[in-house]
Amino acid sequence: MVVKFSENQDYEALRELFRHHIESYDHLVDAGLETLMNSIKPVEIYDSFTDRKLRIWLGKTEFYPPQKERNLRTMREALLPSECRQAKISYTGKLMADVCFQYDEKAVIREKFNFGQFPVMLKSKLCHLRGLDPKKLVSYKEEASEMGGYFIMNGLERVVRLLIAPKRNYPMSMVRNSFADRREGYTDKAVVIRCVREDQSSVTVKLYYLRNGSARLGFWVKGKEYLLPIGVVLKALIDTTDHEIFASLTSCYSDKHEKGKGAVGTQLVGERAKIILDEVRDLALFDHRQCLEHIGQHFQPVMEGMEKEKMSTIADAVFKNYIFVHLDNNYDKFNLLIFMAQKLFSLIDQTSVPDNPDSLQNQDVLLPGQLITIYMKEKLEDWLQKVKKLLQDELSDSSKNFDFCSLADVKKVMDKNPSKQISSAIDNLLKTGRLVTQTGLDLQQRAGFTVQAERLNFLRFISHFRAVHRGASFAGLRTTTVRKLLPESWGFLCPVHTPDGEPCGLLNHLTSTCRITSYFNSQGKVRDFFKIRASILSVLIAVGMIPSLPKLVQMGPPDVLNVILDGRIVGYISSGEVEKVVAHLRQLKVLSPHVIPEDLEVGYVPLSICGAYPGLFLFTSPSRFVRPVRNLSISSEENQNIELIGPFEQVFMEIRCPDGGDGGRKDEFPATHEEIHPTGMLSVVGNLTPWSDHNQSPRNMYQCQMAKQTMAFSLQAIQFRADQKLYHLQTPQTPIVRTSTYMKYNIDEYPTGTNAIVAVLAYTGYDMEDAMILNKSSVERGMYHGQIYQTETIDLSEQSSRSSRSQKLFRRSNIDKSVRSHIDSDGLPYVGQMIKPDEPYCSIYDEVAGTTRNMKLKGSEPVFVDYVSVDVKNKKHPQKVNIRFRHPRNPVIGDKFSSRHGQKGVCSQLWPDVDMPFSGATGMRPDLIINPHAFPSRMTIAMLMESVAAKGGCLNGEFINATPFKSSVKKRNAGDEESKTESLVDELGSTLVKKGFNYHGVEVLYSGVYGTELTCEIFIGPVYYQRLRHMVSDKYQVRSTGTVDQVTRQPIKGRKKGGGIRFGEMERDSMLAHGASYLLHDRLHTCSDHHIADVCSLCGSILTSTLVQPQKRAVREIGGLPPGKAPKRVICHACKTSKGMETVAMPYVFKYLAAELAAMNIRMTLQLSNAAGA
Amino acid sequence: MEGASYQRFPKVKIRELRDDYAKFELHDTDVSMANALRRVMIAEVPTIAIDLVEIEVNSSVLNDEFIAHRLGLIPLTSERAMSMRFSRDCDACDGDGQCEFCSVEFHLRAKCHSDQTLDVSSKDLYSSDHTVVPVDFSDSAAAAGEALDTKGIIIVKLRRGQELRLRAIARKGIGKDHAKWSPAATVTFMYEPSIHINEDLMETLTLEEKTSWVESSPTKVFELDPVTHQVLVVDPEAYTYDDEVIKKAEAMGKAGLVDITAKEDSFIFTVESTGAIKASQLILNAIDILKQKLDAVRLSDDTVEADDQFGELGAHMRGG
Repeated sequence: MVVKFSENQDYEALRELFRHHIESYDHLVDAGLETLMNSIKPVEIYDSFTDRKLRIWLGKTEFYPPQKERNLRTMREALLPSECRQAKISYTGKLMADVCFQYDEKAVIREKFNFGQFPVMLKSKLCHLRGLDPKKLVSYKEEASEMGGYFIMNGLERVVRLLIAPKRNYPMSMVRNSFADRREGYTDKAVVIRCVREDQSSVTVKLYYLRNGSARLGFWVKGKEYLLPIGVVLKALIDTTDHEIFASLTSCYSDKHEKGKGAVGTQLVGERAKIILDEVRDLALFDHRQCLEHIGQHFQPVMEGMEKEKMSTIADAVFKNYIFVHLDNNYDKFNLLIFMAQKLFSLIDQTSVPDNPDSLQNQDVLLPGQLITIYMKEKLEDWLQKVKKLLQDELSDSSKNFDFCSLADVKKVMDKNPSKQISSAIDNLLKTGRLVTQTGLDLQQRAGFTVQAERLNFLRFISHFRAVHRGASFAGLRTTTVRKLLPESWGFLCPVHTPDGEPCGLLNHLTSTCRITSYFNSQGKVRDFFKIRASILSVLIAVGMIPSLPKLVQMGPPDVLNVILDGRIVGYISSGEVEKVVAHLRQLKVLSPHVIPEDLEVGYVPLSICGAYPGLFLFTSPSRFVRPVRNLSISSEENQNIELIGPFEQVFMEIRCPDGGDGGRKDEFPATHEEIHPTGMLSVVGNLTPWSDHNQSPRNMYQCQMAKQTMAFSLQAIQFRADQKLYHLQTPQTPIVRTSTYMKYNIDEYPTGTNAIVAVLAYTGYDMEDAMILNKSSVERGMYHGQIYQTETIDLSEQSSRSSRSQKLFRRSNIDKSVRSHIDSDGLPYVGQMIKPDEPYCSIYDEVAGTTRNMKLKGSEPVFVDYVSVDVKNKKHPQKVNIRFRHPRNPVIGDKFSSRHGQKGVCSQLWPDVDMPFSGATGMRPDLIINPHAFPSRMTIAMLMESVAAKGGCLNGEFINATPFKSSVKKRNAGDEESKTESLVDELGSTLVKKGFNYHGVEVLYSGVYGTELTCEIFIGPVYYQRLRHMVSDKYQVRSTGTVDQVTRQPIKGRKKGGGIRFGEMERDSMLAHGASYLLHDRLHTCSDHHIADVCSLCGSILTSTLVQPQKRAVREIGGLPPGKAPKRVICHACKTSKGMETVAMPYVFKYLAAELAAMNIRMTLQLSNAAGA
Repeated sequence: MEGASYQRFPKVKIRELRDDYAKFELHDTDVSMANALRRVMIAEVPTIAIDLVEIEVNSSVLNDEFIAHRLGLIPLTSERAMSMRFSRDCDACDGDGQCEFCSVEFHLRAKCHSDQTLDVSSKDLYSSDHTVVPVDFSDSAAAAGEALDTKGIIIVKLRRGQELRLRAIARKGIGKDHAKWSPAATVTFMYEPSIHINEDLMETLTLEEKTSWVESSPTKVFELDPVTHQVLVVDPEAYTYDDEVIKKAEAMGKAGLVDITAKEDSFIFTVESTGAIKASQLILNAIDILKQKLDAVRLSDDTVEADDQFGELGAHMRGG
């Protein structure tokens, strides 16, 4: 029960949460860039004049850690992240790369090109903070626990969002109506595979089913989908016979298993195979070569730079670049296509069900490193293409004397296409989250890839790195199927931690135990997937797998199962053996990770009657979800039995809860695995709710939301920060009742609330409807005191570049003495100074105009100058300053608070201490009163338990462990000493009784006003309360008179501008319903755009009136009286008389309407009932 | 008109008196009087606390308001408070702290020159008036075991190079205005209970039943005599009116086993002082203030016109 305070200064657990971001970036730096450069095709420029050919390609890269710009000296200084945040610049390192030139087949010339300043992820291998201990980090002005994983762009911390992508290299059967609309004769069924190359770029290939029984292979080339008959592709891939293709396609059917278990083929497969082969014959393509040429002819126009190649070479290039790009061997491609066709036919024959693309089983994740890599690849390719185009233009332009053979000339031309744009494109992606791409990069969205990692509080910050988004394209979808919580996501995505409302179910969070596989193995070395696959293969062959090469075995389920390793058919295992093989693989996975990687996914889809398509799918790829569970077949000593499993395999595994029960499992399906702890299914934030298993589930969801909106202890290095807005709680406390997660992730470094003594009673009526009463004295003693830090950055160089070339600097005016009390001689405010609204806080002197301009404070509340920092680049006159203001924000009526159980409330009164009820025994008065009605319908039992437990904890001076699902973990050591089958409540209650308190946590309270005993006992105890960031001071809006709209003369909207709140149609309706017409007239007319218009009753126009200035007459002043006002003379411009002029009160917009109508040649006339003329 | 006199003569019996703690009985009066006394002790007995802070240098990690707030909460010895003037009523000054009748000036200068963290505490506050100084909690302890190096209340910690220099003005005030002026940490009272065990009924219980009944009270009110097996009331005041024993008796089918009533005119007070004034003085001051308030009511009642005589007080009482 009791938690001991331990000095856990090692932030390993925290770092683990951010690892996937950093590892994916590290791979980019370590190996990704190189593979990327190698995978980009060289461009060739041919000069017909000199008959020379120039090949240009990219070579080695050099990536430097961030350094300061220093024009003089070679001495370079490290650029630190904290400096970037302060100076509002980006944390970038120089990227250099070799560009290789080769004339004809002569020697290769390597030239270094500067590819610009490339963003560097914090704590990645290039970052200066990598591997520093907490003490050193603090000296670098960082948090002691700094985890990195984000970029600093213009001083803002930006994170790349994790995105869900279809599972890589796995053929998925799908049913979608859009497939049928593709072309005539197509059905809604297809098998789709997202193939990922070694350089991480991906190409999706679809195999559509046609109503006539054939199939078409669809793939995208340059934004257009091309469809090829499957037969043509099969024949073109390898030189084979029709019979062999037929045998391969029909291998999944044999008549001995008609409709038995696991039979996926039907008789129809043979028919379809015939149709497929007939189709090819109908195209008059008979052999391998003809098929290749057929494809070559089709694709010649779209394959750039291959105009002069042979048809078969073009076809090979098509296969290489667009079809099954994860495989480099045509035999493998052929086998995979056969497999896909079989899966497709099985889907049609309903011997297998379609895969659910919304389920986590069929999903991967897109990591920052991958996104940057594929974007960069495209940008580099574009760059090379542009270089080629420029050179060719130059060649064709004979007017210029361009020497093709001179490298200097070539480079000069290339300078027109600066190589630095590559980095700036990445820069732009991270800054805006937008991709600028023609091809779409096989991604579902173009925007929203990055978000700002807000440091509102620590939990919000963490959540940015643990969030996984389903994709922006799903947000607009009207169906809710994608948002559903599916059982497949168990243990990987937190069921509790998703926002409610618009992004509900689309923005999920990884569970605290979930990890994402990477290119690095547990020793931190880059994995060699080629070796790994070879090692797996040899293991498989050793246990009886029949390899598919050199020849495909003409058999299929249920006799044998396909073994597919990372999207390659590697062989067959007889279905009787397969379970043994799977168990063996799992053993090796745990025990000898050098043979079988520890995160290998052994997706064994067993034979079933019309279930998922069977097979043994093995995945070693990075960016898969994995989570640890116990393998029961291995002895549990020293946690040696922890196996990492993925969502694909999990579906077919038997994992039991560690409560010792069988979980309703029958004997035929014994559990092979066991969860480590049930809390592993919750996210970090979800895990922080004490005893969340005792709460109604939506309340836990609300808490996850509110924890992220809490005004908390945001940062320890707050004095070195220049964030636009930071919320800070002055006097936070550590919660008495906390979960084990709280200590594991060092949340105590950033506490989020205060243990408030909460009494649950209806005391004054001010606690109705989720309002709560705060004790005025408690607040005066500092409870929930806080402040907002707001930084104003003033960059003079930016300002001056915009308007003229005037030199501006910070300087106080010598003439205006009134600003002296606010502004120091350097033109900047005094630190610690209080500044009231509309008072100046800094002076800017314009050297050209010789004028001084004062910046004035906006807003409605006084602020304090907390900190002023200036840039040191320009020693004499700083050009850039950060001025940080401090807004004191102590609790006032209307501020929002919440417990950790989704119980939010608004402070309705600061009630005097003496009027609060008090306990006769201890004399304690509550800090906070909430209404008992907050409980029955919301059923937040854990909050009641927290109150009782915290009270007991206070009395004993201990922290209480409130980890949920305690009863679901069987005692590992089976210690019978703990055989007390006491319930949790009993345990809590009895601690109170021991200390002389009521078992149920209630106390006798006395009215503070009368001194009499309250009629019933009151539930009172400490509950950890959080202060939410929503504060009235930021939100209140009042207006009586003020600015009006220029055109309509109606009050403007907007809190900032001092506008009003719209009194809209529905409000108008309610006024009418009440018959409050006078009030309505007042609101909508008198207080809005009341106007007295001059109307000419003769012509009925309100636009033609003009004011005639009366001649100045000598009016004799009468002493004591105001000067007599000359009568206003108005004449009608149209009638040229003032005879018919009348005044009419009307809304000003009416006059505006008349003017607008007049602009359309529509005349509006008014008929006045008491007109002079009538 | 002349009805029966309801005048009572409340008695106070002091049980325990320490500098910062008092326990006494209040007899022969109403709950209204008892509660009024409690309320006055918490919210209306004046003390002196730092109210204005002028910060000259602050390079510590805490911001100016935070330090000012912390300074305000430091209890200052306030024996003088009753005789001092409220700044707002002070004729000698405009309440700007320049006058000795309503304010006390403090200075604090601290700078850390060593590598060791410097704790700036209430001991570093230098008062212009030796009667008004930060409360020294070590007094009682030092008397017992000499040479205890006490540090006072920590205001802020400074590391090398950080400095704090300020001028503070303490003023008289009451807890109603701000909690920092409240002299009482806790004031509570309870009705004195009278507990009668129905001995006849008690004897019908077995020993086990008696034990469980005695143990049903979370506080130690009853005790089972180990020799005679009689249930005795050992500490009636430990009873918190939680009705646990009554419920237990009912559950055992022995309703009426014990009769507990609260004496309506008898209260036991517990007073804990912050140290600003002694607990005994706090009670006396509270009675004084209560008396003043009652005087104001009485005086203003029969001399509505004589406002000039009683000044603001009378008008205030009438005005509400």
